Amino acid sequence: MKVYERLSQAFKAEGTTNVFGMMGDGNMYWQYANSKNGIIMHEVRHEGVGLGMADGWARATRSVGVCTATCGPGTTQLATAFVTAARASSPVVAFCGEYPVSDDEYTQALDQAAFAHGCEAAFVRMGTPQDADEAVRKAFYIARTQSRPVLLSVPLDLQQKEWDDDDPYVPSTAIIPKRTVTPHQSAIEQAADMLMKAKRPVILVGRGAQWANAGDEIRKLAQRTGALIATTLQAKNWLGDDEYHIGISGTYATKTAMNLLSDSDVVVAVGASLNRYTTHEGLLYPEAKFIHIDPKAHVLLPRGKGADHYVQSDGKAGVAALEAELAKRNFKQLGYRTGEVKEKLANAWEDRHEYKIDAGTLDPRPMCLALDDLIPTNISLFAGSGCTAGFTNILFRKPRPIVMPGHFFGCIGQMMPAAVGAVIASGMKPAILMDGDASTMMHIGDFDTMVRYKVPLLIYCMNNECLGAEYYKLDAHDMAVETSCIPTADLGAVARAFGGRGALCRTLDEVKKATAEWLANPGPMLIDVRVSRSVVTLPYRRIHYGEDE
Amino acid sequence: MIEVNERIEVASTPQAVWAILSDPSAVVECVEGAVLGDKQDDGSFNAKMAVKFGPAKVSFNANVLVEYDAANLSGNVTARGKDGISGTKFKTTMHFKVEGQDVPPQTAIPIKAECELSGRLAHLIESGANLVIKRMTASFAEKLAERCGGAKAA
Repeated sequence: MKVYERLSQAFKAEGTTNVFGMMGDGNMYWQYANSKNGIIMHEVRHEGVGLGMADGWARATRSVGVCTATCGPGTTQLATAFVTAARASSPVVAFCGEYPVSDDEYTQALDQAAFAHGCEAAFVRMGTPQDADEAVRKAFYIARTQSRPVLLSVPLDLQQKEWDDDDPYVPSTAIIPKRTVTPHQSAIEQAADMLMKAKRPVILVGRGAQWANAGDEIRKLAQRTGALIATTLQAKNWLGDDEYHIGISGTYATKTAMNLLSDSDVVVAVGASLNRYTTHEGLLYPEAKFIHIDPKAHVLLPRGKGADHYVQSDGKAGVAALEAELAKRNFKQLGYRTGEVKEKLANAWEDRHEYKIDAGTLDPRPMCLALDDLIPTNISLFAGSGCTAGFTNILFRKPRPIVMPGHFFGCIGQMMPAAVGAVIASGMKPAILMDGDASTMMHIGDFDTMVRYKVPLLIYCMNNECLGAEYYKLDAHDMAVETSCIPTADLGAVARAFGGRGALCRTLDEVKKATAEWLANPGPMLIDVRVSRSVVTLPYRRIHYGEDE
Repeated sequence: MIEVNERIEVASTPQAVWAILSDPSAVVECVEGAVLGDKQDDGSFNAKMAVKFGPAKVSFNANVLVEYDAANLSGNVTARGKDGISGTKFKTTMHFKVEGQDVPPQTAIPIKAECELSGRLAHLIESGANLVIKRMTASFAEKLAERCGGAKAA
């Protein structure tokens, strides 16, 4: 057996079923072995897209996503996707070829360790053929235990050496202990003391609470304490059917939510990193004390602060223990859960700001509301991170199997790859992606990949033919906005040229018609929706124009 | 750095306007969200100032020093402050002068100011803050004009 065959066996034993990436001479033999081992390869048109897909796979499944690139120039294409995956805490292993150890002057030579370091990825190198098992195990161990991407670097010539060890491969899962972090009783009692003094508590839930499957426990605690439920951006719409759910806490909060949150006196944050955006640099909660429940030993908050009370615990176990402690003390209150608050929440998402709509375009706000209604809730939602996220992240409110916003690393163009990876991970269940024109154009070449693999993803390109974030910022500074404007071709026609379906829509009726066609037969499709630049997102109205909305 | 270069015109005499501008407590009453605190040994004042950047309110604890030049009806204001929650800081220098005009309205107050916001929030709200400060200047002019005798700022 060759080393590349053993490496493939090791990946299979680690649970790898799908790999995303592009073939080159640094990974082609390994890919060949993968095909013989029944591992499905998804060939992309840009290596970074492959890593983005593995990232989406990891975010959707909480299992290790796997991608591949050849040595040197194939690997450097991974840069932005690596940092994005690192910021998303995604467990990803990237199998990268490396220049031969016997040829220092190889054309595609690259210091891949330094590259990984610069991209915030862990680095594991197979230094000798005998280290094949150890290198793969270590890469998966790091990805799983540290929840981060790993660059596994494997020199070309070493892949061709003989493997002569008959011992079975031991996967990383065999050496990682499985245990739930349970809370200390005294920490729970202290948290209960704080909650019993609170009149207006908020439970702020993040991805960690979702991953811990703590939904039922959170609902019970919210009902007992009279708490509002708010989410981080990443947990968007989760538990959204609770009648006192106020949406996202942070940049994408409604004004009603901001006003209510600013009155809160205790926040119970569960599985949330409480970053600067979630708390708006702390300004959303000027008077509140924080109880932070998280399985990590401790979580440092922005500006080097800590929560007022930290409970190290798995989200489900921690919230259940807190609820049980309050039940034991016969504590129950209305808190925020009053008719008055319910009335405020009923109109919280209305945006009455009127704009004159540019000719041949539509207002993206009623479109988002209409699509959230029209698209069945068994269809997942992905949201890009550009300017248009200011519409999607506020106006799409229904819980769906996967609701995945972007924003990691603040880059555009990374959500289409993540959406494709997540859709493949979900067993090809239909989904939609709301994104902007610059994001869509960045990886339009991989619409071809969607077509080849028949990925049932409908991309709505909210196309205002400009770099939106810059357009509005220039406008706020009275600078020439034209410098941020880039016209695009009919992207619906581009999608059709790739062999998929596509449409160009300038009215809401046209969008609804194209959507209905896709719903009748989901497949790879791109709708180029021309939206009016005149309509400013709520976050931009605040940030760029200082509006109190 | 946010630069303000405004000219407020008021339908009152220069002396009436100066009487207000030379009284720090009267000036502070014209600034929305501002409250004057104790006078310090160096002649400066402590102050509190709440500014809304979007729906979020930033509450600054500030120190303000006003140096008057009564002969020239002008003054320099230096202020700095910090918000304890977000860690946002501001530093402002301002020069103003009260000038009589031959044609109505009777008085003009050219104001030149530079305001620097720092801290993480400042980067986020940079362009919006510019507009917020311009609106605050307009509001100050309006209140000053009202105080000078009910006249509106020109």
